[in-house]
Amino acid sequence: MQPGYVLVKEQLFFRKELIERLPWLIRLRWAVVVFGFAGCGASYLFWQWLPLPLLVLLSGVFCYNLLFLFIWRRLSPFKSQGVHPDSDSSFIRAQDVLRFNIFAHTQISLDLLALCVAIWYSGGVCSPLALFVIFHIILTGILLQPLSCYLYGVLVLLALGGLLWLQQGVHSPIFPLWYQHVILPHDGNSVANDFIGIVRYATLVTAVLITAFLVTTLKLSLRTKGRELLRLSKALDASNTKLTALYDMVKEMGMSMESKALMDSATRRAAGIMGVKACSIKLLDEQHKKLRFASTYGLSEDYIKSKESIDIQKSPINRKIIDGAVYAIGHIEERDYFAYPEDIWKEGIASLICLPLRVEKRILGVFCVYSDADASFTESDVRFFALMADLTAMEIEKLNTQLNRIWFLQKAAHQLRSPLHAVISMLKILQKGYLGEMNVKQEETVQRSEKRLELLDSLVKDLLSLSIRRTALNPDALHRVQVPEVLRVLSGLFESQAREKTIDITFHIDENLPPVMATDRLLDDLFTNLISNALKYTPPGGKVTVCLACAEEGGIRLEVTDTGIGIPEQDFSRLFSEFYRAENAKDFTETGTGLGLVIVKEILDQLKGAISVSSRIGEGSTFVCRLP
Amino acid sequence: MSCITDILVIDDDKDLVESMRIILESRQYGVRVAYNGKQGYEKIEAKIPDMIILDVMMATDTDGFDLAYKLKHQIEYRNIPIIMATSFPQKMAEEGSEKFQHILGESWPISHFIEKPIDPEDLLIVMEKILTEHKMEMNQS
Repeated sequence: MQPGYVLVKEQLFFRKELIERLPWLIRLRWAVVVFGFAGCGASYLFWQWLPLPLLVLLSGVFCYNLLFLFIWRRLSPFKSQGVHPDSDSSFIRAQDVLRFNIFAHTQISLDLLALCVAIWYSGGVCSPLALFVIFHIILTGILLQPLSCYLYGVLVLLALGGLLWLQQGVHSPIFPLWYQHVILPHDGNSVANDFIGIVRYATLVTAVLITAFLVTTLKLSLRTKGRELLRLSKALDASNTKLTALYDMVKEMGMSMESKALMDSATRRAAGIMGVKACSIKLLDEQHKKLRFASTYGLSEDYIKSKESIDIQKSPINRKIIDGAVYAIGHIEERDYFAYPEDIWKEGIASLICLPLRVEKRILGVFCVYSDADASFTESDVRFFALMADLTAMEIEKLNTQLNRIWFLQKAAHQLRSPLHAVISMLKILQKGYLGEMNVKQEETVQRSEKRLELLDSLVKDLLSLSIRRTALNPDALHRVQVPEVLRVLSGLFESQAREKTIDITFHIDENLPPVMATDRLLDDLFTNLISNALKYTPPGGKVTVCLACAEEGGIRLEVTDTGIGIPEQDFSRLFSEFYRAENAKDFTETGTGLGLVIVKEILDQLKGAISVSSRIGEGSTFVCRLP
Repeated sequence: MSCITDILVIDDDKDLVESMRIILESRQYGVRVAYNGKQGYEKIEAKIPDMIILDVMMATDTDGFDLAYKLKHQIEYRNIPIIMATSFPQKMAEEGSEKFQHILGESWPISHFIEKPIDPEDLLIVMEKILTEHKMEMNQS
């Protein structure tokens, strides 16, 4: 059966009903022919009178019904598919629909024409057969479009109206109205009256029964359709729920910065979404020879240990999965694919789905769900799980790529910094006199060299920090952090730095500050860069004040004020640009990478905070940050 | 400190190793050197040092950590104090990149972390402190 949305989309849902009902007409017509011929027979038997026009009409109906039966058998899509119309595997093509429409119109048109002729020959508009017009219009309404129903209704009424005019008009009737002529007595014959009564009663009985049949059939059909719609609606709701859960799963995986956390999230969520006992991810080693459990949910430690390292060559099922096969096993039996099915039975697993974790053509590993019930999975479940596996594989690959990039940056920085450190260490040895005393000029040269190298080292460190921040697809997972605690931990370090430079540093931290959404590392970097800057650009004897308080507009306000060299006004617009240092800053000290405030700004952007600066040359600067 | 205090320096940077030798020998420490984890382990097997100064990235990305954990899992070597010296910013190394994930959850095998470039005074102060504490622990046990 085609998915409901396809049927609705192409209106095939309704056209399917048309095609299913067309045989009705043919069958009803047979009944009319049979009863009609029986009536003619009875008329001849009892009254020795054969209504020839009616016989001819019935023969005509018989012939075209035979033709319609032949056409139906040729046209029926279900017959050519070899399936029952209600079967799940039946389907309708859009081009079939037009042919069936024409077929339905042809049948209904001929039937109405035949009925009009029968009415004409059986008393005109007074004929009890006129009641059958209503059934035909009801059938037309069921089978065809509303417009067609009204059109046929109007046409029939026009035809009967014309007949009425012929009957009652100034013109004589064109054809003998045999019903009136033969049955209706002009002299009030009581037998004839009884006969008329019987005919009318019989017609009424027929009309009532046919009405009852049509109405109940229609009602049953509506109920069936209603049940089907309800079933589809429930299935759609279930699909929506699953897709929402899948979206949440992918979102959670996307926030992970560690492979293990990502895969644990995947297995836990997959088990919940699929409604199963357990789930596992096994990853291939670098040689693509062994599979190892990378994450499990719901499996016992004993089971995990027993399958700690699976040699693919010795496991046919895993080998086939790595080659791309999908296994959905409804009953775990010995003749199946497992070398040790008893391990699986002991674990309480009765059915499972295993499929490859694949990114394009590369297989990362195997994703499995395990159920404790037999034959637990449908085809739809397998397709859904395959989608889940593909998304999980993509997330794993994305994270691995990101982590590899970050690792490359870290290694590159390490490689750059190692020789720097070696040189700085050797210069420190020289400077501290480990290799003998130096003269003043030598000492000065060594000091300057050391400073330049330390600056280069800081630059590499800051660049690394910035690059990793910009490379990370998923910013640090934020959580509630008590800002005063982070600042208190760092305050000792800043006090030590301040002491070395004979700068007075004070901290004012309000009580009962609200937590902010951040991470310790981000706040650490924020404080380090801001406060180190303040200390760097404040001459000895100066003052640095750090205040942490509630912000008026909510959140926290961090204020770092120094009595340093200040910032020229013309430099304000470039303060947060990479590598930018004001001229007076360069004159004051050579140390400074020009990245500290860039890092501060990027951290605040990530925390949805803000920063403002005020400064006067020679008097100092104030940086105010707001953390929501 | 007695000159018989034996320090094993394990680092693949020969210049840095030479700098540390100069610093340590100026304070009468006995210095042995190795340039990767494997060599370092051989030297430890030959004679247990009083302290190890260990780099992180040598022959492999985690050579230093691997050696530290190997020593911690062996009774005869688990009590050797280890100072880990690295060019990695300390926070990054402590939090661990994906390569270092296997160490999380286990007890940290390092006595102290020192970030390069190493200041001679800082190094000596840390070493003295750790050696003194270690000696006190050994005496108590």
